[in-house]
Amino acid sequence: MQIIIDKVKCEAKLGETLLTIARRNNIHIPTLCHSDALAGQGNCRMCMVEVSEGKTKKMVASCIYPVTKSIEVITNSETLTKMRKTLVMLLSARVPHNNTILKLRQEYNLPPVTRFKSDDEEECILCGLCTRACDEMGISAISTVNRGINKKVSTPFEEPSTVCIGCGACAHVCPTGAIKIEDIGEERIIWEKSFELLRCSNCGKPFITRVGFEYIKNKINTEIETVCENCRKDAITKKLRDIYGF
Amino acid sequence: MENQQDFQYTRQISQQYPQDKRFLLAILQDIQKEYNYLPRESLYMVQEYMDIPLAKLYSMATFYKALSLKPKGRYIIKVCDGTACHIRASQTLTDEISKILKIAPGQTTSDGRFSLETVNCLGSCAAAPVIVVNDRFYGKVTPSMVKTIIDEYGGIYS
Amino acid sequence: MKNQSMRINKILVCCGPGCLSNDSLDIYEALKNKIESDKPYISIETTVKATGCHGFCEIGPLIKFLPLDFFYCNVKVSDVEEIYQKTIKNGEIIERLLYHDQNSNQKIKSPEEAGFYKGQKKIALRNVGEIDPLSIDDYMKRGGYKALKKALLKSTTEQIISEVEESGLRGRGGAGFPTGFKWRQCAQMQNFPKYIICNGDEGDPGAFMDRSILEGDPHSIIEGMVIGAYAVDSHSGFMYIRDEYFLAIKNMTKALEQARNYGYLGQDILGSGYDFDIQIVRGGGAFVCGESTALMASIEGRVGEPRAKYIRSVEKGLWDKPTVLNNVETWANIPVIINEGASRFKSIGTAQSPGTKVFSLVGKVKNTGLIEVPMGMTLRQIIYDIGGGIALNKKFKAVQTGGPSGGCIPEQLLDLKVDFDSLDKAGSMMGSGGMIVMDETTCMVDVAKYYLAFLSEESCGKCVPCREGIRRILVILEDICNGRAQDEDLDLLIEICETVQATALCGLGKTAPNPVITTIKYFKDEYIAHIRDKRCPAGVCKELTIYSIDKDKCKSCGLCAKNCPSSAIKQEQSKIFTIDQTKCTKCGACVDICNFHAVKIGGALACR
Repeated sequence: MQIIIDKVKCEAKLGETLLTIARRNNIHIPTLCHSDALAGQGNCRMCMVEVSEGKTKKMVASCIYPVTKSIEVITNSETLTKMRKTLVMLLSARVPHNNTILKLRQEYNLPPVTRFKSDDEEECILCGLCTRACDEMGISAISTVNRGINKKVSTPFEEPSTVCIGCGACAHVCPTGAIKIEDIGEERIIWEKSFELLRCSNCGKPFITRVGFEYIKNKINTEIETVCENCRKDAITKKLRDIYGF
Repeated sequence: MENQQDFQYTRQISQQYPQDKRFLLAILQDIQKEYNYLPRESLYMVQEYMDIPLAKLYSMATFYKALSLKPKGRYIIKVCDGTACHIRASQTLTDEISKILKIAPGQTTSDGRFSLETVNCLGSCAAAPVIVVNDRFYGKVTPSMVKTIIDEYGGIYS
Repeated sequence: MKNQSMRINKILVCCGPGCLSNDSLDIYEALKNKIESDKPYISIETTVKATGCHGFCEIGPLIKFLPLDFFYCNVKVSDVEEIYQKTIKNGEIIERLLYHDQNSNQKIKSPEEAGFYKGQKKIALRNVGEIDPLSIDDYMKRGGYKALKKALLKSTTEQIISEVEESGLRGRGGAGFPTGFKWRQCAQMQNFPKYIICNGDEGDPGAFMDRSILEGDPHSIIEGMVIGAYAVDSHSGFMYIRDEYFLAIKNMTKALEQARNYGYLGQDILGSGYDFDIQIVRGGGAFVCGESTALMASIEGRVGEPRAKYIRSVEKGLWDKPTVLNNVETWANIPVIINEGASRFKSIGTAQSPGTKVFSLVGKVKNTGLIEVPMGMTLRQIIYDIGGGIALNKKFKAVQTGGPSGGCIPEQLLDLKVDFDSLDKAGSMMGSGGMIVMDETTCMVDVAKYYLAFLSEESCGKCVPCREGIRRILVILEDICNGRAQDEDLDLLIEICETVQATALCGLGKTAPNPVITTIKYFKDEYIAHIRDKRCPAGVCKELTIYSIDKDKCKSCGLCAKNCPSSAIKQEQSKIFTIDQTKCTKCGACVDICNFHAVKIGGALACR
């Protein structure tokens, strides 16, 4: 099946999202709540595009809109830019000092938002990626709490979680760097909980929490070595070199 | 304080339902009804029974208005602030109750007897403004009636 | 007014939402006890029933007497003895308890004579107020479950779907999606199991239509659902009912039990070999769960967050299975369409919106209550003919339809025909049927602020425009009401509203700005008065209102000064009373107490 995005003809598979197709064709659509590792969420609405199907035209979130027939898509109309500007303005009002949003604001030529009272400490835009990542890990130590304008992300009772393994997937996936993860020596602190870090048996760098290591070991039910990702890659390269001699 | 005995109810409530996620809300609502809030112990027990992460339970408990993590009073006074009540000055009722009970909406008196809540439309718009104490409706309430209503439930201890 | 030949055999005591808040249940109990206790001694064949809403809530509690069809209003428990002795035993009508129609200045006996009931047409409410909701036999005596027999025993599923399609019935939950089309799409899906849902999570402030049907005629909903389920080949149904509606849940639980006992629900319904059952799910107290996809999430045991509807529920709904979701009123219409046929149904209402619509007519209108009118009736007819006009003979300002998703319609549009499309065009929407009348003492900016404050708590908070947009719209509206807003705020307000409308994830978010947009559209001068002149024309926004005493009207009685809780009213040398603006808290006590209407509300605060 073929669809047209910004006048470019693109091949599409049934059910693929518009964002996936656009990215494959190097067409830029801005996103905040999207991670290639996770299913689309449609929360930040930055990726909204205009879809024309015959005479009807509608605005859809490209990260979750599945393609089912030949359509024409516009990703950067005047209306879309105007709306994205307002969204960025709203986010700036929420997290006035966050670097990710600051950059975006400059990109859209917006002045600092002074009209509203903001929380100077706030860094989270509630994109929802962290809770998704935590769910994917099979842990679910964090979740969204409350609703409406009082929504936030937290551990149950806002206390250190009993199930968190300190894997840091939440912080890793966070687009605004709102989740603090601190590694000092052999200690990691995240979500106000302290974890012991294991050192890589090869390079000696602390790279995984002990509970995280045990969790993965149990999950895949095999013995694994305490080797960090870099060293593991190096080892594979070395092995290949040994076999093929290049 | 809550003792072991009390949490037998939580177990009984949970076990009335199959271990299927879709009964979660119903279980939590029943626990809420029994204890007037969701005690932590109960949440731990439901977590175990349903085999569901605590974070999911906590998320539900804070999302739905019918559920509360803080103990509520024996008598819950709900002042309707639906549109019909609002334009017939329901705010003055909330103010008056607040004044008498010395608590703000969302709070419970220190003796644990009364909670004050404002709610979104109870569907008795024709009798606006309306307040409900537990399951009893009072219609066309004026600020001067408030004290009499509170007195029906034993009034405030001075 | 003695009438010896008068035999009353049935007394219907209204126990609808409005009357219940005025002790109608106590009246019912008292009447029943009286009759029961006397039964062994005198021959009396009167039965007394607690029914659903009679509609005319304004003058409740209401009691209707059959077969003579007269009714009493504003009944109190203390009237029971007299009613029993005079009316029930002697057939005597008590003048005092008859309804006095202020507009025609007449005492009215029969409901048909009252302006409130004239012009109404009952389909969805056909049994509400006429039967004991706890009696399946009452329901059957009025033709109940006949449609089910016709559908299951004499029709093909195709015939049922065509009939509903042909009737042109559109979803009464608000958006007006064609019901028959929805059923057909679902019926075509070859993915099982399929689910049927009744949305009874009525959460619009100012609306109690669904509550009235759920409480007053639960079987009509069950019958509709079984027919729908049969048509699309579903065997499992859910009824999502707001937790606050405890009586609705109680009555529905009982009704489901009876329906099973009578073989109208459960296994092998009416011997047809078809199985279908319904479970009740109690809502968790979240307005957003009225949105269909959030409701499904809630049934599944998750937080009620909506999803985008790019794939519709008829294809992937509850547990990703084909699902038909209709609201209470829609389901209640189904048995009538099946029984009487599509053409009969289509003859009522307009071409594009056939049938009737139930509204809860509330606010500053004389006759508040629950009404059902043919589509296409004008707002003016509803408000003035049925509603009797504006209470206290004040001036009409606006009518709000569609709840927080709807808008405020001004006087110049009073002749607008009420149907799905006309209301949309006016910037409002049908919604589930709340109709709130506002008069000159209602501040339109305050109304917009009220809805947005409501939505700020009820938004699920999932998507950026709804969560962050509503929050900031509310800030601006609060500033306007407090006199802290600037001219450019109006543009900013419009900008945010437009973005929320265009980009929000679900229906709640997309329609959230409607109360603001319509009030700006039709009542811009009120916004300007707040922003530029720092004045609230309706005298509602306290920061922008001053109370003063009209020297010409003041009789110097001093009642206001005595009742002022902040001692702000003093008598000057000239004997005239004045209000000290620095002390006045604008509580309104002086306005209420003055017998000469000498306290004026309004004007700008000069000191600001």
